[in-house]
Amino acid sequence: MTTPKPTTGLDRLRGLQARGLLEKDHPTVAALLADEALTDTDLLRAGRLLAGLDHDAVLTHHPGTPVVTVAVTGQSTVGRVLDPLRAELARHGLLLRATVGEHGTYVRDLAQPQGSYDLTLCVLDAETVFSEVPVPWRAADAERATTEVLRRLAALAGGFAGLLVLNTVPLLRRYTHQLVDHASRAELGIVWREFNAGLLRLAAAHPAVVVIDLDPLIAEGGPAADPRMAAYAKEQLAAPLLAAYAREVGHLARSLCGRTRKALVLDLDNTLWDGILGEDGPEGIAAAGTLRGEAYGGFQKVVKQLGSQGVLLAVSSKNDEGPVLEVLRGHPDMALRERDFVSVEAGWRPKDGALARIARRLGIGADSLVFADDSPAEREQVRLGLPEVAVVPLDDEPALHVTRLLRDGWFDTLTLTREDRARTGQYRGEGERRALRERAGSHEDFLRELRVGVELGPPRAHEYARLAQLTQRTNQFNLTGLRLRQHELAAVPLLLAARSTDRFGDNGLVGAVAGRYADDGLHLDNLWLSCRVLARGIEQACLSALLAHARERGLPAVYAGFRPTRANARARDFYPSLGFAETGHGGTEGEAVIFRHDLGVIPAIPGHVRIDATQLGSGKDGG
Amino acid sequence: MSPDSLGTLDGFLRLVRDDLGLVTDLAGPEAAGCDLTDLPGWDSVNLLRLVTLLEQESGRAMPVGRILEARTLGEIYALVEDLR
Repeated sequence: MTTPKPTTGLDRLRGLQARGLLEKDHPTVAALLADEALTDTDLLRAGRLLAGLDHDAVLTHHPGTPVVTVAVTGQSTVGRVLDPLRAELARHGLLLRATVGEHGTYVRDLAQPQGSYDLTLCVLDAETVFSEVPVPWRAADAERATTEVLRRLAALAGGFAGLLVLNTVPLLRRYTHQLVDHASRAELGIVWREFNAGLLRLAAAHPAVVVIDLDPLIAEGGPAADPRMAAYAKEQLAAPLLAAYAREVGHLARSLCGRTRKALVLDLDNTLWDGILGEDGPEGIAAAGTLRGEAYGGFQKVVKQLGSQGVLLAVSSKNDEGPVLEVLRGHPDMALRERDFVSVEAGWRPKDGALARIARRLGIGADSLVFADDSPAEREQVRLGLPEVAVVPLDDEPALHVTRLLRDGWFDTLTLTREDRARTGQYRGEGERRALRERAGSHEDFLRELRVGVELGPPRAHEYARLAQLTQRTNQFNLTGLRLRQHELAAVPLLLAARSTDRFGDNGLVGAVAGRYADDGLHLDNLWLSCRVLARGIEQACLSALLAHARERGLPAVYAGFRPTRANARARDFYPSLGFAETGHGGTEGEAVIFRHDLGVIPAIPGHVRIDATQLGSGKDGG
Repeated sequence: MSPDSLGTLDGFLRLVRDDLGLVTDLAGPEAAGCDLTDLPGWDSVNLLRLVTLLEQESGRAMPVGRILEARTLGEIYALVEDLR
């Protein structure tokens, strides 16, 4: 007798395809691909299957589905990257629209105007260099070729419009060992590392360039190339390496779409320490001093490292709260302490509810959470109850916790800002604000006592990275869904940054305005405000200041647009609430709603907000 | 996929259909004799995928150069058969 194999996410995906429901049920695809039972090969199969997806039909059923446009080019055959890339993007709820260049055409491809692609992947391999090295050759010939390739890429990167994704290039034994003496071999090794370092430096020099380092991917398990595929099909990077590369590109695409996760919620027993607190007692658990304990301690340090870079840490544990807090405060083994967490949910209720409470308390969506737990039952409960949460499967092998946690780069971001590093402190200030809110009689009382100060003005030189990040991470109060990268900010005619403070501290750069002056008035192309400071009157204060400024300048009107996205529905009435009138839908932009303010009655700046400084620019010449 | 899925032409064609995602109504000798480029949904990367797939399924190294030169699924199946 055979027991039937359990139905996997891939089986169910095939079922959807067979019944013609892939497009209609597209929002479930990401959850099906999150099935822990799927192997890497299954994921490739899913990517193949999704090649048949009718994008137009998906977008008809679900107009908000983000589409990522990708151009793929390279020296060699790289078409095989598409299946894994399609699957990786689908895991994050993104649709892939890709075009692939012929092999050997990367220089031509990159020199053409790129405007319409979100990402351009230029896949580099050893042949990119060695196709320019004569036979016979010496290390100095390789150096000439690497210098030339670097020079060419730097020139292409200089005028690049979209985001150009390059990669470091694996050095293969079939090249090093063509040189029989160790001195020459070492020389080639140096040339090659300098080539890769030069590639990595391109990213520092050009904001439009990202370089994916293949070394750590190969270190997880090669080989980097299949000589047969290289010889017969010009496929210079092995298919599994291309798949690992696609996974990294998926993380990048996710962060470009504003889907970088913001908080990591951790179980405790057998996740952060060895043992079960409720059964073994504080003396019976370990995160140091024993072999397994050390492994848990190592995991705690990695979690702390993530926390230091702006990832908010929280706990969801089936335990009594008292003993948990005692351990976090006083147990000698802990690398993580109570102050490292912005929220500790210890109790006996289901974890999906605990995660929802954590998200609410932090003012972020459940789709910003990552949840790590060693218990399959708890993971399943969260997956079913709160499917937007990304779930990291841990098990009873703590030495693998770090690998599993980092496997998906859930928190990957293009650049890290000063605000990121201070974020945990800011959210802890949030706890004090919450206490004030509970003490205060009404929301108005709370706001009055909060003593909000706002400063609105042109960005300072060091603020551009944070501004770009704000546009990419802000979903709820992003009035058109627009996201800008750092190098695109310079092209915005009127760009303003909003910084806020309150009695509990400095909130840093929390908002942005993109606009332009035209003959018919001031056009506000978009507003962004961090969800951390929503509903404190900051958005109203900034708008009032802008309207007053426009009237002072004698402008005829202020125009503003709103385009619904999956997350900004609550901001739909923002402009009307300040006296803007709807003037219709904007021509080609389909669903955008255009508002106009005639500057007759300017809404007052909310009484509890202190505008500390405003500098709104003097027109087309900025200032 | 069972270990003997490559043991018959039908098993081989099923593998091609399911794992390469080729949508074809053709079956048996008709599919096997059809020129690869005439198969609906065929693209140049499919041959590379097929080689990887066959190596995974059979656990043996495939004659990559010869497979890449094949014009029909039948020719590829014959190459796989030769290895058995």
